[in-house]
Amino acid sequence: MTKRFGETVAVDRISLDIIGGELLILIGGSGSGKTTTLRMINRLIEPDEGTIAINGIDIRTIDGIVLRKNIGYVIQQIGLFPHMTIRENIGLLPTIEGWSREEIDSRVTELLTLVHLPPDQFMDRYPKELSGGQQQRVGLARALVMNPPLLLMDEPFGALDPLLRRQLQDEFIGIKEDIGKTIVFVTHDINEAFRLGDRIAIMHEGGIVQLGTPRDLILNPADKMVSDLVGSDRLFEHIASLTVSDMMVPASSIISGEMPVQSAIEVMVQSGSTVAVVRDRAASFFVAQLPTLLQRRDEVKTVLEATDPPFFLSMDASLLSALEEMKAASASFGLVMEDGEPAGLLLPDDLISRLV
Amino acid sequence: MVSDLLLTPIIQHIVLAYTALLVSIALGIPLAILALYSRNLQTFVMTSANLMQAVPTLAVVAIVVPLIGIGFWPAIVAIILRALLPIIRNTWIGLSSVDPAIIASAEGLGLSEWEIIRYVRLPNAYPAIFAGVKFAAILANSVAILTAMIGSGGLGSLVFEGLAGVNMMKMLSGALPAIGIALFLDASFSWMERRMVPRSGQSELE
Repeated sequence: MTKRFGETVAVDRISLDIIGGELLILIGGSGSGKTTTLRMINRLIEPDEGTIAINGIDIRTIDGIVLRKNIGYVIQQIGLFPHMTIRENIGLLPTIEGWSREEIDSRVTELLTLVHLPPDQFMDRYPKELSGGQQQRVGLARALVMNPPLLLMDEPFGALDPLLRRQLQDEFIGIKEDIGKTIVFVTHDINEAFRLGDRIAIMHEGGIVQLGTPRDLILNPADKMVSDLVGSDRLFEHIASLTVSDMMVPASSIISGEMPVQSAIEVMVQSGSTVAVVRDRAASFFVAQLPTLLQRRDEVKTVLEATDPPFFLSMDASLLSALEEMKAASASFGLVMEDGEPAGLLLPDDLISRLV
Repeated sequence: MVSDLLLTPIIQHIVLAYTALLVSIALGIPLAILALYSRNLQTFVMTSANLMQAVPTLAVVAIVVPLIGIGFWPAIVAIILRALLPIIRNTWIGLSSVDPAIIASAEGLGLSEWEIIRYVRLPNAYPAIFAGVKFAAILANSVAILTAMIGSGGLGSLVFEGLAGVNMMKMLSGALPAIGIALFLDASFSWMERRMVPRSGQSELE
């Protein structure tokens, strides 16, 4: 879809599939078209070209008002109605839809509890009696009142101080799990994007530069701009989002357990590796280290005798927890297994040089 | 009876001023709402409203006569011409000065234009509208004295007859009730304002 404002192309032929239940981040600088894209989803802005479909239904066939009542919308300025109490703010749409007072009260109570505001304390207060963080929680509750399957959020935490922003992000991660909605979330804060996003779309000058999971973006940045933005050259900053498979060295060759030590040393020296995977006759796996082999080459005949029992890791384990387990077990490296076969090795020395 | 002599002009005066005021409210508020959605109407309404303000009240009263003659209804028209302005202008300012973020969030929630006016703009404009109506009421009250010159009757007749006949008692019997009504209007509108304007609904106008 494309949107122009006069001569300016705000959004240029972008194409985006949003997966049900995911939190998709639109990130970019000002003027990148992220907010325009968001506002086209609930028809606050109409695209000049292209279509947007929700569950296969073209949104232009749905009345804008009806569409917006079924899509939650949260903005940075919150925009609570100052003349209404919190109860009235959250209950406005239900009131218009003709719910009974009891139904509204129970829904408001439920939502305030969800956003961690004690209902009996907050129901009858006015927005200006609340702090910024509390107001934004009410804003979220108000957006959720009609239980919309889709939620659009435009820099909801942008106006909060960093400490509070972090706290609200943490809470929001929990709320997101509880409500299980599809969320499109606009931000300019890459850390927020990494904390919250299932997938991240990086926008620049009206186009999507790259769309992928946080790990995709970090490990395979499409260009210099993406790599600068996500900090691909400072992988250690993203250690929390990396998995074992991102950082392992692929197991190139597997040495048979009966191979003489001298031949094994030659194979390893040739391939330039200091650690090798060894398979015995029973198809169990072990790990041979070059220094150990060199030290003990006169004592033992076959490689198997000079191997160590490996520390097994799974491919999709988080890197941090894998490192913690290795530390607890005093293992100096890990053997990464996939479907019962060795897939690679996790070598701390190599890891450090790649992270920094 | 003195009280009968006074009662009829007082009732005439109140009917005159209040009829004109109610018509002004009934015209002014919808016009202000429509002006939100039409740039042309907005310019027209605000310009003509301001123009009317610039014309002296006496001239407004005088100009009505060649157009529609004298009597009760021409007097009503003259008062409306005066009272409409503050109502339209204050209502329009109140409706249009709502924080854009609040309107944006109302649109995003899926409120229709009418629902935004009904639930968001009007409540936010109440203080300004009340101020406008209060001012208009006091203007109507004073113009209703002047319209006695074009045969509207009421307390103004007593004032003018008293002036013409150098009858101080007669003049005061017209002027004092008019002052009393003005004070009563002011007090009652202030009371209503306190009752009806929501606690946290102060707009930037205050």
